[in-house]
Order: sequence, then C-alpha cells, then structure tokens
Amino acid sequence: MDISVTVNGETRTRSVEARRTLADFLRDDLDLTGTHVGCEHGVCGACTVLVDGRAVRSCLMLAVQAAGREVTTVEGLAPDGALGPLQQAMADSHSFQCGFCTPGFVMQATAFLTDHPDAGEREIREALSGNICRCTGYQSIIDGVLLAAQRSRQA
Amino acid sequence: MAQIAAQRYTGASVKRSEDPRILTGGGRYVDDIKLPGMLHAAFVRSPLAHGRVLAVDASAARALTGVVAVYTGADLAEMTIPGQDPLFAMMASGGPAPEYTLLATDKVRFVGDPVAIVVAESRYLAEDGCELVEVDYADLPPVASAATALDAGSPPLFANLDDNIIGPHTRTEYGDVAGTFKNADRVEEFHIDIHRHQNVPMEGRGIVASHDPETGIMTVHAATQSVHVTRLGIAMRLGMDAAKVRVLAGDIGGSFGLKIGASREEIAVAAASRALGRPVKWTEDRGENLAASGHAREESFDVRAAVSEDGDLLGLDVRMVIDIGAYPVMGTMVPGIVQAMMPGPYKMAALGFESTAVATNKASYVAYRGPWASETFVRERILDLLARDLGLDPLEIRLRNVAPRTDPPLMMVTGRPLVGVTTKESLERVAQLIDIPAFRRRQAQAREQGRYLGIGLATFIEGAPGPRSPGGPGEGPMGIEHMRLWLSEDGILTLYTGQMPHGQSHQTTLAQIAADEFGVPFEQVRVVVGDSDAVPFGLTGGSRSATMTGGVALHGARQLKGKVLDAAAQLIEASAADLEIVDGQVQVVGDPDTAIPVGEVARQAAAGRLGDDVGTRLEVQAQFDGGEGGWSGGTHCAIVEVDVETGIVTVERYVAAEDCGALINPAVVEGQIRGGIAQGIGAVLLERSAYDADGNYQSATFMDYLLPTACEIPRFEIEHLETVPTDADVNFRGVGEGGMIVAPPTVVNAIEDALSPFGVRIYEQHLPPARILELIEEANAG
Repeated sequence: MDISVTVNGETRTRSVEARRTLADFLRDDLDLTGTHVGCEHGVCGACTVLVDGRAVRSCLMLAVQAAGREVTTVEGLAPDGALGPLQQAMADSHSFQCGFCTPGFVMQATAFLTDHPDAGEREIREALSGNICRCTGYQSIIDGVLLAAQRSRQA
Repeated sequence: MAQIAAQRYTGASVKRSEDPRILTGGGRYVDDIKLPGMLHAAFVRSPLAHGRVLAVDASAARALTGVVAVYTGADLAEMTIPGQDPLFAMMASGGPAPEYTLLATDKVRFVGDPVAIVVAESRYLAEDGCELVEVDYADLPPVASAATALDAGSPPLFANLDDNIIGPHTRTEYGDVAGTFKNADRVEEFHIDIHRHQNVPMEGRGIVASHDPETGIMTVHAATQSVHVTRLGIAMRLGMDAAKVRVLAGDIGGSFGLKIGASREEIAVAAASRALGRPVKWTEDRGENLAASGHAREESFDVRAAVSEDGDLLGLDVRMVIDIGAYPVMGTMVPGIVQAMMPGPYKMAALGFESTAVATNKASYVAYRGPWASETFVRERILDLLARDLGLDPLEIRLRNVAPRTDPPLMMVTGRPLVGVTTKESLERVAQLIDIPAFRRRQAQAREQGRYLGIGLATFIEGAPGPRSPGGPGEGPMGIEHMRLWLSEDGILTLYTGQMPHGQSHQTTLAQIAADEFGVPFEQVRVVVGDSDAVPFGLTGGSRSATMTGGVALHGARQLKGKVLDAAAQLIEASAADLEIVDGQVQVVGDPDTAIPVGEVARQAAAGRLGDDVGTRLEVQAQFDGGEGGWSGGTHCAIVEVDVETGIVTVERYVAAEDCGALINPAVVEGQIRGGIAQGIGAVLLERSAYDADGNYQSATFMDYLLPTACEIPRFEIEHLETVPTDADVNFRGVGEGGMIVAPPTVVNAIEDALSPFGVRIYEQHLPPARILELIEEANAG
C-alpha cells in the first residue's frame, strides 16, 4: 500500500506491506534508527514515538495506520542536532547508561510533561512505569524529568 | 619519583560524552547497521525440551519467494568446525566435554534450541520461511530439574556421556573442618535455593556478518563485551585464520554478562554470510532472548554451620549443585568462584566446599552480573537465620564475625588477604544512617496496627580486581590490561582500549583520568573502542575496568607525557625535567610565556624534525598489571513493608554504604550501584525464568518475565566510605556487580524480619506475592 506520513515535519511517501509495523517503517524504510525495538509486544516502551502528539508504541501500530498522521521521533525533538530542554536535563542528570531504552523514555516523558508540566515525582514515576530501563534503577531518569519540569517552570 | 598530577576531572561527576548522541537518536546499535545487499536471518527453534530430530524438511521454505537459503543443523555441521562453545573452550575448565553440533542435528535439548536458519531478503520473509520448515521430532523424557539430572538413571542429554554430570563432584577443605564442627557449641543445617533468572538487556543479541569472498575477510558487526573474544570464537568455529576476522562494535544496549564471545546463533549467521557471499543480519527478538539466550543462578545449597553460643560463625560446610542448562558455557566455572568467595569478609576459620554441575533440558547457564553472587546470598541469609536462633541482632552477629582491619590483613580461609576491606566500617556507618532502635519502635507500633515492616542488612566484598595475592602468579590480580595512547597533530590524545562499554561510560571515565594525568582538557581526549583491528585485547566484565583500564590510562598517559616532554625539550630548549603540560600546552614549569600547544610537538615530530629517538609518531603501548589491587564492598540495608493480605512487598527505604576506592566519576559509580540494586530487587520480587515440570518454558514475554519499573524501585541513599589506599597511584576499584550481589539477601532479610511475628523462615530467593502468602500460611500451619 502507498502511504504518506508526516515524520518530524516532513511528508514521507512509501509503499509498504499492510503487516509492516510503524517501528520497522521508521527504522528500515526511513532510516530513523533512533526509535528502538525492545520487545515487539508493547511492554518495554523503547519504541515509543509521538503520533499526533500522543505517545504511542510503534511496535504495536502498523505503518498503514499512521497514514496521514504526524509522527515525531527522537530525531525530531531537536532537529539542529542540539539537545532539547528535556534531553539537556537528562544529560545533566546522568539519566542513562547504555542508551537503548533512552529514546522511548525521552518520547514518553516529552508527551507527559506537555500535559503535566507541574507533575511531581510520584506522578512521573507512574507515567514512566510503562517504560523499562535495565541499567539505572530509574532514579537518574526521574531526576532528569523533574529537572526539566523545574527548569520549564522557571523559564 | 612519580609526580601526582592535578585532579581536575577525576573524582568529579563530569557529564557523559556519550549522552548527546544517545539522547538524540544518534546511538549506533547493531540492529541499526544496514549494508548493501544485506540479507536477514531467523531461526527455527525447538518447541520441545528434549527430543530426537527425525527429519527436517526445508523444501517449502526454500521455495518461498524472498527466501535465499535455509541451512539445517546438518548443513551447518558441514559449514563449521565441531566443538564446544568458544568461551567454554577458551576457559578450558576441564571435565567432561559434551559433543554437539552448532545447530541441532540428532537431538534438541531445550525449548528454543536452534534447529535451522532461514536467510531471506527481509526479516518478515525469513520468519515466513521458518513457518514452512517442517521438523519431525520424537519426544524424549525431559531432564527438567537438577534433582533428575543427578539421578544416574536420567536420560543423558549427550550421546558421548553416560550421565548428566558435567562438572564432576569435587570437595575441598580449608582449615580444620572436622575439628571445628566437632568442637562447636552448635551445628545448624540449612537448604537454600536460588532460582533461575536472567540478564535481559534491553537490546538482545545480534550480529551483522559480512564475508568478502575476494579478500577472505569476515567483517562482523557485533553486540559484545569484547570484540576480540568474539573474533576468536567466530574464527574457531568457522575454521578461519583469526587475523581474517574483524569485529566491530558500536553502542551496545546492555549485556550484564550475556554478550561475551560468539553464541551458536551468531556463529551460524557468520557461516551463512560466508556461504552466500552477502552480508547477513540477525537481531534476536524478545521471545528468543527470554527463552534461548541463556539463564543464570539456578543453584541449590546444603549448608552446615558451626557456631558458638555467643554467635561466632566458626565454619561452614557447603554442598552446591548448579543447573547449567543444556550446553556448557559458563556454568561449570561458577562453583570455583563461589567456593573462593564463600567466607566473604568474615573471620571463619574452616570451610568445606563441594559442588556438582549438572546438565538439564533448559537454556544454557550464562554469566549474569556477579556470577558467584550465591555465596553472598547463602552466607548473609544464614547469618540472619543464626542470629534469630541465638537471639542476636543481625547487626550484632555481623559485627561480631567480620574481620577487623589488621596489619598484616587477615586472610580469607580460602587464601586471599582482606587488604583494605572496610566492611566493619560500612556496617557501623549503616547503623548511623538508619537509627535501628527507632526503627524497632516504629516496627512494633506498626504491628499493632496490622502493618508488617522489616529491616534487612547484608554485606559483600567483590574482587574488583581483588588484592595481589602473596605467593600468587607473577601477574597481578586480574592479568594484564593494555592500552595504546597517541597524541596526534591536532593535539587530541587518543586512547585505544579493548574495553567494550555497554553502559559503563568508559568514553567519559577513561578520558577523565587521561586528561588529568596528561594535562589536556577533557574534550581533547578521544576514547576508541570496538574495532578488533585497532584496539588491544580486552574484555568489559568482572568489574575490572576501573582498576585495570583506569590504571593503564593513568600509567599510559604518564608514559606518553614523558615522551612528549622529551620531544618538547628540543623545541623549548629546556630540560624535559623542567617542563610540564598544563591545559594542553607544554611549558617551562610555572612559565606560560614559554608555552607551545601539545599538537605543535606532534606536528614537529610528524615532520621528522625531532630526530630518530622521538620518531614521527608520539605514541606509546602501555600495560598495567593491576598494581596492588584491592576489594570493593560494603553494607546494604533495606526497610520493607509486607502487605500480608496481598503478599505485595514495598521497599520503603534502601541505604548503601560502599567502598569502591577512589571514585573516578561519582555519578557513574552511583548509576552502577543503583542499577545493580534494581536488578537484585527484581530478582527477589519479580523475575523468574520459569519452566514447568516437563521443561516447557513459561516466561517468554514481558508479561510473564516481570521486570521492575519506576514504581517498584525506590530512591537509594548511597554513602561512599573513606578508602584505604593500597596502591601508590591506582585506587579506583570496580563497582559493576556489587549491587546485584548484595541486594537479594538485603531484601530477603528484610522480608523475613517483617514476617517474624508469623514465625516465617526463608530459605529461597524468589518471593513474589503468591509465595509470600504461602510462606505465611505454611508458618501458620506449622
């Protein structure tokens, strides 16, 4: 099937099989390998992207379901190669180690902070509880999100 | 006389140089590799725990459009050299060597055992092809437990062996075991089980192999803890000259011991690429990872403890059985380390230790963060059980038995000196951080309200790298670490290391050390990893990099600085002894007017203007033997609440007092500690690689194999103790495994304390809610 998807602000048209996942479409057809595939059954959250501004597991969505919609991946958060405010706060907090779960956390937290700029630690932990990190014990990630929220309130 | 360089970066939580890439999608993991003409592989895997392979019919799969090749076990046997798992072969642990093929031919030996590889134009088509491969199996009785495997009448997994004993029974005694037990006031007996659980890195295994038929060079993109171990493993099983295998690795999405060397699947992919003359990629999916990549820890212990009425732990006599799964990789090596570490930081003067390793129809035993961790679980669990029987406090029994710091240091009864070990100080520090009497009052009040709080303590030491042992081999505590250091014409100091970071932040921490010692800004140091043609031999594992690689970075930078100063002496017209490097400039000590950039020295050398003694390239090959080494260790303490209606355990507070020597980067150190503790909490409360009684795997999704999330893991309070320096220069010690080693007994001890009003005694490690409720019920029925 031919589909057009707006990805990181750019319209991309490709022919895809109906069974192709959005994750594979982004990674293999568009070479946007920042989106990672961690479990392919919607539990780990590594493949999280934004579809029309909402956090979505791209392993559970088909590429054809994204036709005509706006997708944002981790590559699209700070297009000039710099770090966005959340990414900067996470770097400042030593949030991550191996980096594999990272794009999923960044996208999930981006969507959450947009809707809940005043969230506290408990709410942030719950909002990120669908993303698995095996390296950090989460505290540094939570600290990064808290720091980003605090900076945005002061800005 | 060595000059101690200024510490501008070392010891500070310098921001990671890895982060800008990984936070923006710029990480380069093995599944991100795309090569021209690349094909994709998927595996046909056994649905049976134990079965005979009667026939494999791949004709329908081969006929599918898009499928390029299907190789069965028999095909692969012709394409590769027979033999053991390369890591097992390299470690040469002795004992029976089972004979088997790379992919199953005559038999399958666990659910997930690879039977055939399908190579196609896409992963989707490769998986379609797998569906079309018809395999006829005949069921064989499964050997689904160590108890069955120990039975001489159990059906042998391997035709060349008469039974399933892979690591034959051994017994070793240290000290006067018989006398100690004979004269003890009490001898208590315990049976303790550790359950099967596993690494679960967020990125599974994976490989892109690309064989060039013209040059005969095999280029492998791998996710590995060592490009060289992978290189040797692939060369070994493909019958290639090891110099013709080049292994590259980029970012690696975690490992925790899983990704050492070359697994059967990875070797099969390399063989397929060689046969087809095209690049082939395999990316392990989560089901494969959970069922087939490997598991760890399934061990049981029968322990006798000799104690005095006052609570002196005089000796242990331990019998260990380890279930190594189907194919020997790491499992037979574990008991030896458990044995050596069994005394921990305690004074006990006698140890009897025996072990047996058995093969079963389950996934193979692989290294998992602190592979010998069971010794800590067993010892720290027993100390609490003994304390309860003797009416002692858990803190008191530990303080009574822990080895004090003496000069010369006390020796573990198994032979290694407890140099610089601060376990006693860590116990005292935890007792300050947590007001235990106040907790006991709160605990008593809570119980009156039907709430069950508990406190648990545990200590550990970790040979990271361990001390230089008197009378030991000439090499240091962990062999020799190598590094090449090069100052290029642009003034960049490049370190080539065999470390293969997969979350450890070596590109930051090694640069910190080298920048300080050499005298350049942190940003002027580049750390090269992951190319077997460029980096020296090395392995990231065993918590060795802080001392071994930190040490070689320090000594190597010092060596290169000497060379640069000698060269610069010709340009500045001063004696090298009067020169220094400050912020990337060589100058006469204290005289910035004489400064020239270090890059200028390299440029003059490259132009051949500094004579033959300097040469054209400012480079050194450095090595380090670990110096005096030392131990990491400490005490952890957890406060938990157990909901006795639901069985849910909540970790309310968690405190760690640790000594890992001089900190290179505190944020990195604490990240390692927290991550390890989280895995330990997961092991106790959630994680289990479960098989049913017939060897069917029960945990092949993340709905079955539960990992801790941000809601189950609390904030951790970490204290770093003052370190006892053991070496003139290198006092960094590894910190990779301690959290995972000590968190399980810490949490289990706290749970037992919470349930003490019910009389619950715990002899196991896996305590999900259902098991908590059973324990209460059993105690009530008791």
